[in-house]
Amino acid sequence: MTIKTLFPGRGRAGDPSEGDVRGQGQAGVGPSGTRRLGSRGTGDSRTNARDRAERRLAVRMTAPSLILMALVAAVPIGYALWLSLNQYSVRTAGLSRFVGLDNYINALTGPAWWAAFGQTFLFAALSVSLELVLGTAMAVLLNLAFKGRALLRTVVLLPYAIVTVVSAITWETMFQPNLGLVTNVLSALGLPGGDVVWLGEHGYAMAVIVLADVWKTTPFAALIILAGLQVIPRETYEAAELDGSSKWQTFVHITLPLLRPAIVLAAIFRTMDALRVFDLPFVLTRGANGTETMSMLAYTQLRENRLVGEGSALSILTFLTVMAVSIVYIRFAGGNIRDVAKGER
Amino acid sequence: MDITQLLDAARHGHPLTSAARHGRPLTVADRGRPLASAARRGRPLTVAATALAATLLLSACGGGAATPGAEKAAAADPTSGANASGNLTICGGKDASGIYKGTAAAFSKENPKITAKYTEIGATTDEARTQAVQRLEGKSTECDIFMLDVIWTSEFASQGWLLDQTKLVESNKDRLIPSTVETTKYKERYWGSPFFTNAGLIYYAKGKVAKPETWTQLYAEAAKSAGNGYVYQGKQYEGLTVNFLELLYSAGGEVLDDKGEVKVDSPQTRKVLDFMAEGLKRGSADRAVLTYNEDATRLAYESGTFGYERNWPHVYRLLNATKLAGTFDVAPLPSFDGTSKASGVLGGWNLGISAHSTNPGAAVSFINFATTPDWQKHVAMDYSQAPVNEAAYSDPEVLAKMPFAKELLASVKGSKPRPISPVYPQISQAIHKNVYAVLSGTASTDEAVKKMAEEIKSAKATF
Repeated sequence: MTIKTLFPGRGRAGDPSEGDVRGQGQAGVGPSGTRRLGSRGTGDSRTNARDRAERRLAVRMTAPSLILMALVAAVPIGYALWLSLNQYSVRTAGLSRFVGLDNYINALTGPAWWAAFGQTFLFAALSVSLELVLGTAMAVLLNLAFKGRALLRTVVLLPYAIVTVVSAITWETMFQPNLGLVTNVLSALGLPGGDVVWLGEHGYAMAVIVLADVWKTTPFAALIILAGLQVIPRETYEAAELDGSSKWQTFVHITLPLLRPAIVLAAIFRTMDALRVFDLPFVLTRGANGTETMSMLAYTQLRENRLVGEGSALSILTFLTVMAVSIVYIRFAGGNIRDVAKGER
Repeated sequence: MDITQLLDAARHGHPLTSAARHGRPLTVADRGRPLASAARRGRPLTVAATALAATLLLSACGGGAATPGAEKAAAADPTSGANASGNLTICGGKDASGIYKGTAAAFSKENPKITAKYTEIGATTDEARTQAVQRLEGKSTECDIFMLDVIWTSEFASQGWLLDQTKLVESNKDRLIPSTVETTKYKERYWGSPFFTNAGLIYYAKGKVAKPETWTQLYAEAAKSAGNGYVYQGKQYEGLTVNFLELLYSAGGEVLDDKGEVKVDSPQTRKVLDFMAEGLKRGSADRAVLTYNEDATRLAYESGTFGYERNWPHVYRLLNATKLAGTFDVAPLPSFDGTSKASGVLGGWNLGISAHSTNPGAAVSFINFATTPDWQKHVAMDYSQAPVNEAAYSDPEVLAKMPFAKELLASVKGSKPRPISPVYPQISQAIHKNVYAVLSGTASTDEAVKKMAEEIKSAKATF
């Protein structure tokens, strides 16, 4: 995506909507792109020459940021890639050997990676869908006009402002058997779950992790969706009202479709975060009871076992997984974002 | 486990940092020029290709030649401490009890020619290990002595990061408890000197439950009534490895034999696993232990609804500050069923001399001071740690501060090190993951034992 975005002349530059999706990423190409669009279709050689000159100028202007990007993004990723193709000895200091794709083959043929892969996706599916549903509800409520709305909008963001590790420890304490708030309240009310060892039981442990994540990041999803709500023109609602549409009909047929780009955006952000989840299961279960995620696996190999090659291969696999999922999102849901972006102009 | 440790994890789990640790540092000067000129010529793809090629080339150089490991390590000269002078830096984790700074100050006072200071390089044990590893890999001369958790010794020694202390340990051996010396051994040589040790204890509610004589008796007694229950560390982490090994050792089992062969697939392992799983089912131990680390165990026991608790010695002081003061007693870890010897697992900290120390003489002098019977008394009295000198345990001044010294000594003397291997972290994971699977009921004993043995074997085959 980087090359195409940075050098629109080489990609589908003729398509004006191409750039809009990516927004600020290509701010530097702006002026030349606009002018080229203006001259498109005339086709005489003078314009082409000027076009080329402008393209070269664009390259020169983007070079500094390109170098910076290479240093901060490409170099570490390239280096991790290189590390993942080698083995570094834990027994003899300084010894390393090139093993090609062995680290990947070992990871992909062993049970640990696939177990973590499945658990991570389960966690992402559960937490993201809950966050989107609750986030939408929250956004709709926050969009209503009432006294103290500004204050409430700030207050709901509080969970998001708390360090995840701190909230994880809080949840751990609340779900502690015998002593925890949740277990005690459930027992006192005679509800089921009071005598369950939540973090020591398959399924229950995942539920706590999902709950902790939903509690923390629903406000974030709500905030993005709220921004989407505010750009829906009031006239649309007025027209619906005149046509005698009920509240529910308005929500289903007007709000939701127009809100889709914002929801998709929130879903992309949240899914990418959820697939890399580390802190919650690390604090709550240490990966026990089928809650080991892809990032935890990479951490264990890299940090605890100092298996640099194996750990890097797992990091790259995690990275590829997250990237693949985001590409799928942009491919299938991104078109929607484009349409709306175009419509707003 | 706290925030700093996790932040640290987030920071260092990133591939970039591991890259920096293992390769030559990448400098901007190396790459800036070719990139800039390529950019001037206006060939975008060349720029990208150059950047990538430069990355790969540089990392290729990073591999480097093998540095001498344990085989070629230099030895610390036991006589070099006598005339040492200058500065000495001791590095380790957070000094919660004040023992490190206190020892450095007392040492400097007695040896005016040497100025010793203690540097905290990490807030937690894990972070201190990372920091120590980074300094040692970078051949830093900042630290002369590293505080080594007993389980790090073989890993650090195998990397050639430590001076061989065999001669020094031999010359001090008569004043050190043999089991604590064993924790510094790797490939028939000693790589550190024990500073203070640690061993598990059983805390029990006297009057309510019987004194633990054997594990089978403790479990039976604990199952008798709801208030008699036993709590221990059953969360899937290092603590579970320790709790399991204590039972395994006391049943006469082992993980690795003297030659390092994997011996964990044994009748003893099966017996102990069945015993622990059965204990959860019959209610000897509360199922909540599956989520307990040391602190959670202590807090649960402080609620007063349990009969027995397995924990470290530091809990004694904490328990005495609660409403349970005076209602509990302390016992050494028992034998499994009376037919085998009582045993346990040693914790504690050793003093390792960095291979890159610029003042190894002063380090030797410090180690000699720290292990003297006199200073070992202070280790117990002033800092509530378990001494590595046997006489200290029967000293009346120590007994006044540490009434359970006799029980602690029994636990320490009977205990053994955890499996000695440079890949110990992997071995420990193989243990606690599979033990947890049996306890939580997701694997049968047979499956778990076979898998444990297999995973330990493949861990031992690590390059």
